[in-house]
Amino acid sequence: MLSVAVKPSTRSAFMLTLKRDLLIAFKRKNDIVNPFMFFVIVISLFPLAISPEGERLAEIAAGVIWIAVLLSAMLSMDSLYRGDFEDGSLEILLLSPHPLFFLVLAKNIAHWLVSGLPVVIASPLLAYMLKLPSESYATLMLTLLVGTPTLSLIGSIAVALTVGLGSRGLILAVITLPFSVPVLIFGTLAVQASASGLPSGGYLTLLLALLAGSLSLAPLTSAAALRISVS
Amino acid sequence: MWLWFAKLGSPKWFYELSTKWLPWLVVATVLVIGTATVWALLFLPPDYQQGYTSRILVVHVAVAGTSLAFFPLMAVAGTITLVWKMKLADMVAKNAAALGAWFSFITLATGSIWGSVSWGTWWEWSDSRLVSMLFQFFLLLGVVSLRSALEDTDKAAKACALLSIVGCINVVIIKYSVEWWNTLHQPASPVSLQSGSANGPEFWIATALMILGVYLFLSVSLILSTRNEILQRERRALWVKEMIAAEQ
Repeated sequence: MLSVAVKPSTRSAFMLTLKRDLLIAFKRKNDIVNPFMFFVIVISLFPLAISPEGERLAEIAAGVIWIAVLLSAMLSMDSLYRGDFEDGSLEILLLSPHPLFFLVLAKNIAHWLVSGLPVVIASPLLAYMLKLPSESYATLMLTLLVGTPTLSLIGSIAVALTVGLGSRGLILAVITLPFSVPVLIFGTLAVQASASGLPSGGYLTLLLALLAGSLSLAPLTSAAALRISVS
Repeated sequence: MWLWFAKLGSPKWFYELSTKWLPWLVVATVLVIGTATVWALLFLPPDYQQGYTSRILVVHVAVAGTSLAFFPLMAVAGTITLVWKMKLADMVAKNAAALGAWFSFITLATGSIWGSVSWGTWWEWSDSRLVSMLFQFFLLLGVVSLRSALEDTDKAAKACALLSIVGCINVVIIKYSVEWWNTLHQPASPVSLQSGSANGPEFWIATALMILGVYLFLSVSLILSTRNEILQRERRALWVKEMIAAEQ
């Protein structure tokens, strides 16, 4: 894949990394499908555990969907750098002449396309199952569209820090979950506001600010973390 | 010009200096905390609303204020570790995380005890200070668990330094988002913390003394644990061997 004769520009290195990661993701479908199935199953457990009544479900729907998103993101993040670390291609990536910032960003985008985007697309269906008022479907999708990439970018730092560890399923969650609090707060507030007929634009703006901040800072931090872990 | 800076990073220099300073610091800590405790327990007039329970606040406010210092401290130490690769900075940072988690825990515990009497509840989600302190506690525990998961000392030092810097920024973001969550979502908390503490210079002097005392206690515990860490990591160094031989 990466055997290009002339020295490629950073842009083509970015595109090649993106393509390569997407290709690998589609060849190892388990890594994509299992976190998604986990997301769907966790959500369908809540009505069974709490109540089948529509009114009570509607009250908690926003929170349940967001927490399920957080947990399934945690599970899918685990595979972000692991395969590359095990087969040594991560070291090649670190040695490349291109800024690591863009290569890490490409990996994060590829990962979000296969793990975050399906969740965003499936969310109205799950929102319907949880009896969320239909006025807030659009807000839910928008918040997830802005929030899930932020979660991926933040999680990438913790994954990069722990990539060398053999068993790290739980430490990843312990580090990342407290970091995700602001996204969770503004995501659920926006959906709840729109469900009760209030404007949700303010919360969306804050979510966008979080995305902008993590888009510019998180790949930098992940790159530094990768250099620490692979040394 | 940079000599003092390089000297500062030498574990041996720190160990020798702290041997001289430690007794004085311990005496000062005992004196200040002792004075503040006696003052708070015997001389502080009971609050006209809260009665004697307001005395808990002397400890609570001091520990809470001090616990906020840990993430900045770890971030500064982490920056020094990453930029100048100074071993001493990481020896300080290593124990700061666990100590900070304890301080946060004591803050939550004393706050709960005070709240159980004054607010009638041990825990109140609608108070943003409680919630953000809880998440600071979790973040500090995350740093501790990352440290214990990584076996390579050098790698653990750099990884924890990075996490501390990110965590320091995040504590601020979490604090503001929790505050907005409260003020926008629910009415302000039923009891304001200020109601008990706004009056009386006696209270403020006791609290100020206690804050000073807790900071002294913090530096004593940090120095002690750093000395421990120095001996452990430098156990093969000549000066440590000579010192132990001299003691035997």
